[in-house]
Order: sequence, then C-alpha cells, then structure tokens
Amino acid sequence: MEDFERQLKYALARKPEPPAFEAKALAAIAAAKPERRMLWRWDALAASVLIAAGLWAQHQHGLSERAAGEAAKARLELALKITVTELSKIQKTVRTSTEDE
Amino acid sequence: MTFAEALRANQSMVFSLAYHFLRDRGAAEEVAQDVFLRLYRKMDDLESAKHVTFWLRKATSHRCIDYVRKRASRRTIALEDTAEPPAVDQQGDPLLNRRLRQLIATLPEKPRMAMVLRYQEDLTPEEISDVLEMPVRTVKSHLQRSLAILREKIERSMGDIR
Repeated sequence: MEDFERQLKYALARKPEPPAFEAKALAAIAAAKPERRMLWRWDALAASVLIAAGLWAQHQHGLSERAAGEAAKARLELALKITVTELSKIQKTVRTSTEDE
Repeated sequence: MTFAEALRANQSMVFSLAYHFLRDRGAAEEVAQDVFLRLYRKMDDLESAKHVTFWLRKATSHRCIDYVRKRASRRTIALEDTAEPPAVDQQGDPLLNRRLRQLIATLPEKPRMAMVLRYQEDLTPEEISDVLEMPVRTVKSHLQRSLAILREKIERSMGDIR
C-alpha cells in the first residue's frame, strides 16, 4: 500500500461513538416498542369492526329475505282469493243458464 | 449474539461509517440510531456475529445514501463548520487528514461510500460490491477514479505528498 492510501486509512480511521450512544439506542428501541403494541391494538380493533359489520350485514340480509317471503305469501293469498271469486261467478252463470233451459 | 452485544461491538463502526460519509455529527448519530433500531427488528433473522456486521455495513451505507438524497432538497451544511469527533488514536498528519476528509465529502454518493468502506473498514472491492449491491468492476472504477481525483486535489492544495 502506497503512502497516499495509508494516509487515507489514517484520515478515515474509526471514530468513537458519541457519549451515551448505547443508552440512547436502547431508549429509542424501548420507545418504539409501545408503538408496535399500539399498532397491534389498532389491528385488533379494525378486525372487530369488520366482523361486527359482517354480522350486521348478514342479519339485515336475513330480515330482507323474511320480508320478501311474507310479501310473496300475501300475493299468493290474494291471487287465490281472486281465483275463488271468479270461479264462484262462473259457477253461478253456468247454474243460471242450466235452470233457464 | 444478543442485541446488546451486537450494539456494543458495532456502535463505533456504524457511527464512523455514517460520520465519514455525512460529515455531520448529529446526522451521523441519527442515522446510526435508526440503523440499530432496524437491527433490533431484524435480529432474529441474523445467524452470526459476522452476518450482523455485514448487515450493519449494508444498512448503514444505504441509509446514509438515502439520508443525503432527502437532505439535498432541504439544506446544505458548510463542511468546515462541522465539529469533528476526536480520534481514538490519531495517526498521520492531522491537517492532511482533515483536508482528505473534506475532499472525500465532495465525491458523489456511491464512490464516496466505496472509499469509506475501503479505507475505514479495509474491505476488498468484492466485499464492497456485496455491501453496495453493485458490480465489482464498478466498485474498482469508483475507487480508482476517486483516488485520482483526491490525489490531484490534494497535490493542488498541499503539494505532492507521495
């Protein structure tokens, strides 16, 4: 190694870390830990909200299905009533025409 | 190797890499603290003391380059104004050492980091290529060109030292 490169090694020799560097690094890590725990708590809260929203949507879907069923039943009953009325009218007409003969 | 042991064994190396590259004591300390915070999160994946040292050199180099790129848009520091940390066992001419550090700080980012890794950490071009994730040929070219530039500048400002 020539002199110039040796001089570069001297110029770039390792420097000591600043005072209390180790303590500050450990404190920074300790301070960062609760942040990670908080993030985990937010994750849990978000998951709970999603589950609750899913259950509510399922419940609403069940209610609307039941309402649709009730409406269909009412329509069927009405249709049957109309059919019975029409049949009675036809029966009456047939009976009247038979008596006239 | 525990995190505390890794911190104690490598704190001077990480701080010095950042300091020689950034030439700003406060910024070097900030970068070094951040690198150790990352190491704490990564520690379970590292298998040996050698692996930890390699990871720290790599993380510090990349973090320093990112730091300079972000800082470039915010502010610049007059290099002569920054206070120098004391050397443990200073060798060579102190004035020349200081002038060389100032000149190294004027090199572009990647050649500058290659020079710091070569002369602070005594890494070979192959090892520098692994740390900086660049071809060995590029590392050698950065080192040769940087040496030529520094030699020329130092000769112009202080006379021939060879």
